[in-house]
Amino acid sequence: MKLVLVQMAEDLNVGEASRVSKDWLVARRTIRSVLPSGVLWGVVFGVFVASSAFSYSSVYKTQAERASLASAFGANVSTSALFGPGLKLDTVAGYTAFHIWLTTAIIGAVWGITASTKALRGEEDSGRWELMLTGRTTQMRATFQALSGLLGGVFAAWLLTAAITAGSGRAQQFGVALRPALFFALALVATALMFMAVGALTSQLGATRRQAATYAGWVLGASYALRMIADSGTGVHWLVWVSPLGWVEELKPLTYSDALPLVAIFLFTLAVGSAAVVLAGNRDVGAALIQDRPHARARLRLLGGHFGLAIRLVRPVLVNWGIAVAITGFLLGYISYAAGETLSRSSMYSIYSRLGASGTGIEVFLGVSFLVAAVVLTFVAIGQLTATRAEEAEGRLDQLFSRPVGRTWWLFGRLSIAVVVLVFFGVLSGVTAWLGVAVGTTKVSFVSLLEAGLNIVPPSIFILGAATLAMGVWPRATATVGYSLLSWSLLIEFIGGIGAMNKWLFDTSLFHQMAAAPSVPPNLTSDLWMTAIGIAAAALGLVAFARRDLQGR
Amino acid sequence: MVDPAIRTEGLSKYYGSVRALSDLSLEIPQGEVFGFLGPNGAGKTTTIRLLLGLIRPSAGMAEIFGLDCQKRAVDVHKRITYVPGEAGLWPSLTGEETLHLLGRVHGKIDENYRNQLVKRFDLDVTRKIRTYSRGNRQKVILISALMSRPDVMILDEPTSGLDPIMEHEFRDCVDEARERGQTIFLSSHILSEVEALCDRVGILREGRLIEIGTLEHMRHFSALQLEISFAGEVPDLSSAPGVSVVKSGGQNVSLQLSGPVKPLLEVLSRYEVNRLTSREPSLEELFLSLYGEGGQSDETGAGADG
Ligand SMILES: Nc1ncnc2c1ncn2[C@@H]1O[C@H](COP(=O)(O)OP(=O)(O)OP(=O)(O)O)[C@@H](O)[C@H]1O
Ligand SMILES: [Mg+2]
Repeated sequence: MKLVLVQMAEDLNVGEASRVSKDWLVARRTIRSVLPSGVLWGVVFGVFVASSAFSYSSVYKTQAERASLASAFGANVSTSALFGPGLKLDTVAGYTAFHIWLTTAIIGAVWGITASTKALRGEEDSGRWELMLTGRTTQMRATFQALSGLLGGVFAAWLLTAAITAGSGRAQQFGVALRPALFFALALVATALMFMAVGALTSQLGATRRQAATYAGWVLGASYALRMIADSGTGVHWLVWVSPLGWVEELKPLTYSDALPLVAIFLFTLAVGSAAVVLAGNRDVGAALIQDRPHARARLRLLGGHFGLAIRLVRPVLVNWGIAVAITGFLLGYISYAAGETLSRSSMYSIYSRLGASGTGIEVFLGVSFLVAAVVLTFVAIGQLTATRAEEAEGRLDQLFSRPVGRTWWLFGRLSIAVVVLVFFGVLSGVTAWLGVAVGTTKVSFVSLLEAGLNIVPPSIFILGAATLAMGVWPRATATVGYSLLSWSLLIEFIGGIGAMNKWLFDTSLFHQMAAAPSVPPNLTSDLWMTAIGIAAAALGLVAFARRDLQGR
Repeated sequence: MVDPAIRTEGLSKYYGSVRALSDLSLEIPQGEVFGFLGPNGAGKTTTIRLLLGLIRPSAGMAEIFGLDCQKRAVDVHKRITYVPGEAGLWPSLTGEETLHLLGRVHGKIDENYRNQLVKRFDLDVTRKIRTYSRGNRQKVILISALMSRPDVMILDEPTSGLDPIMEHEFRDCVDEARERGQTIFLSSHILSEVEALCDRVGILREGRLIEIGTLEHMRHFSALQLEISFAGEVPDLSSAPGVSVVKSGGQNVSLQLSGPVKPLLEVLSRYEVNRLTSREPSLEELFLSLYGEGGQSDETGAGADG
């Protein structure tokens, strides 16, 4: 009798374990969380492709215009080092591939790193894995499942990009057949694929999600630097073959469609992904291969109150962002001469002028660069607010708000830090761009670049305010509201760049509201409006926050 | 007249159709150690979060030392501390940094007492919160609450994750706090803890206060535990007045009896009874009978928890 019972218990146990792993719990959870962003980026990449192709074919109508563009870019070492060599720039396909590959590669890599470190180290950090893993599935299998889920996200992105590319490729002006279109879409999501694997590996190494993402970020930086040196015309082009971004470049989609680098891409993904799975099997849940120092000397200077705490918490992230802003500002300023010269000789100019930029080629180039900086700055704003909301969602606010801390003051403190940082980054981008310009050969005045730097702040303030209002009335939607406003503005701006766009609709884009300084003077009226609306929304959010229940996830 | 430490009147909280807490009226005098019990989902944490002003009541009000818990939250918080069963702390801070921060935020702390507590709870404060075990994290929160020597401590399953030695240490701390005249509101599932510490106990079920009083008082009014051993025929006693929870095995029957004893004695007199023992219920039995009354909590019907 006893034996039978034991046997039954074992059967039950085994039965449950295999049922749950057959259910692919982790894989399903992962795919559910990665699918929305996969779909979003798939669509955005597709829109990038289509808008770039159609704008080129409508702007450069004659062969002569196309040839002049090609010769201008082709001869330019600084653009090829920064953005990759342009191939067949006198064709729609060649220009499109050149125009968007780097943007999509960087977005793809960042998305890949974010998604995989979140699905692996993030879930583990939060303790959710511990619950799922007890007796049900092994760490190794869970990691494998998470990777499969991530693969599903990349597949969704590929499918949508491919569909939009193939669809728009049927148009006569673009003229891309199905197979090259599919190959192009594959090239666009390839970095996402590789960096998901990298993120999975660094999730085994780093003890926190931030650490894992930082390690993966270094890999991305190194891989960009390697291909930059390779394309700098210094006779070391072979270096392109040791860089994941280089492989994507070597795919030469839409022009020569070389499949050989795909082998490198797949082998790399497979090797790195497998390494992650194996390492996961050889460590404890919650442990990391590169151990965080468990002990630390107490640094009490900032910890005198909630405001100092907030500064202490956001500082590491902001230092990283600040460095990125400074380097980008400097580089864009530095290349503005070469890029601007090229630009003024081409009629690409008219796209930018539709985006509101005008003046000399250099000024237009800088105007568009600051537009990009404005987009980056809104990411900083949203990041600040999601971190603020996380304090509540993770229950850390309970500790502060059960002590004599006013809710309004706390949120006001966090918002003030965010605003100071946004303004500082705006100034920083202006100053570093000026430094880049000054080191180069361009002449643009310091004041106009400083103005341009400050000019990118209002859209971020607007989004910060809107997201604060969301946090006050519908806390779980804080990030969604911020990102929706951002992607809406971005999408309208992108489509508006192609051609005719309803004026009212175009005006709903925050980035269109912002004048493209320094090519044109900042539009003080709309800057003031965006700032005022942002502040008003934030004030409402503050009031609502002080009156509502604290809410967890 | 001195204000009671904690007073609530008609305090209620609804989440949509879920009645997390209905119409709670309580008064806890200063210096009392009050135990707050109830099955999972009864509304204990909800009550505590209302007292702290972390959530807003749907109806009714709560006061601490006569100050409204919502409107005067900051003033109230100067005099209280709170220990949740599992707190979110900042993973990148060390234990020492966390204690320093929480002390400063609270205002005044007793430095000597703090250092003494760190020793007593055997906590390594140089480690980062991230690397602490669950129990050690709980110690950080406990020390941070005790070190301010607040007038009121509100504890929600404070010993979850602590080992028995540390739990013992915790009881000593509560006893000391009581001696200093501090008021303690303790919600717990560990009945021995409540039995050892609390002057008075309130029991919540499905959002309603179903019982309140000293343990003596509750025992007195609650069911008596009877064990009866029959020599001959074993009667079916479940229909006898006042009898509940009948268990029989062979010649032995155990049951609970509430109300007067006489009707049951009349029934028993018709049978051959070998032995009859009666005792007052242990706290555990008391709660089992109270929790069990009226079936399970409505959690299954009410939907998600968190
Ligand atoms: N934010 C919320 N939204 C919806 N329902 C909630 C929320 N918080 C609590 N509830 C519900 O309120 C009821 C009381 O929950 P509460 O957390 O107060 O119980 P508890 O007595 O502390 O239980 P436990 O012993 O498990 O800690 C439960 O039915 C729970 O599902
Ligand atoms: Mg609870």
